[in-house]
Amino acid sequence: MGTWTWFHRFGSPPWVYGFAARWAPWFGGAAVTMMLIALYGGLILAPPDYQQKDAFRIVYIHAPVATMSLAVYSTLALAAAVGLIWRMKVAHAAAAACAPIGAWFTVATLVTGMLWGKPMWGAYWVWDPRLTSELVLLFLYFGYMGLRAGIEDPQKADKASAVLAIVGAVNVPIIKYSVNWWNSLHQPATTKILGDPDMDWSMVWPLLLMLAAFFLYFGWVLLIRLRAELLRRERNASWVREVVA
Amino acid sequence: MSEFFAMSGYGKYVWPAFAVGFGIVVLIYITAVSSLAAAKQEARRRLEMNS
Repeated sequence: MGTWTWFHRFGSPPWVYGFAARWAPWFGGAAVTMMLIALYGGLILAPPDYQQKDAFRIVYIHAPVATMSLAVYSTLALAAAVGLIWRMKVAHAAAAACAPIGAWFTVATLVTGMLWGKPMWGAYWVWDPRLTSELVLLFLYFGYMGLRAGIEDPQKADKASAVLAIVGAVNVPIIKYSVNWWNSLHQPATTKILGDPDMDWSMVWPLLLMLAAFFLYFGWVLLIRLRAELLRRERNASWVREVVA
Repeated sequence: MSEFFAMSGYGKYVWPAFAVGFGIVVLIYITAVSSLAAAKQEARRRLEMNS
């Protein structure tokens, strides 16, 4: 089956609804299992850090939610761009489904970061480039959701919010590289895509497993929210009558 | 066991961080499921009205 056939299938709301219903439980089961193993590894098996002692264990929740706050926004912006370019309703629905998930991940990032910052920096909040750009990300999510809610015509709401999402994507590399570009209290990335991590392997594997678990968890909740979004958008379609009857 | 919960004196930061983080994970799931349930209910109501 060619790539374009798959692409066209993802443009069909009933096909995507069925796909989401079939796959969501698998994503959920894998995510919860991996989270529990990673929690055991991070809280019990990993040794304390030589400088931060047990406070470093906050990394096992802070780094995954922070990664997801960026990954969800990138997915949202990509889906919005696909929706805008190819006028694909499913893509706009996926973008809309991403927004509340990403906003909650950003709230979790800010709060867990504050709880890590207090013992390490002596303050819950500093106007550091990383923290400030992450706060801007939260406002971008709020702006996206507010704009969608404020426009009654769904097609106009899709277009306007997609433009905002694409423009706002400029903040993603700013957050990611803020610790390299400016003087920052925030530590650099703990794990790298290329190269060795800064931590010992006994500390790294629970983090990598937790990161993978959070990506699967995002897939799980996105598929559930996408089904809800499709039902609302396609409420007059015959396939909706069939699936809810 | 008490040593584990003390987290070398950082327990008051470590445990709330995990509680908030995983609390939000549970909240995201609950809001997603209730959003789907509400959408299904709304679709059924429209179906009943039109039939």
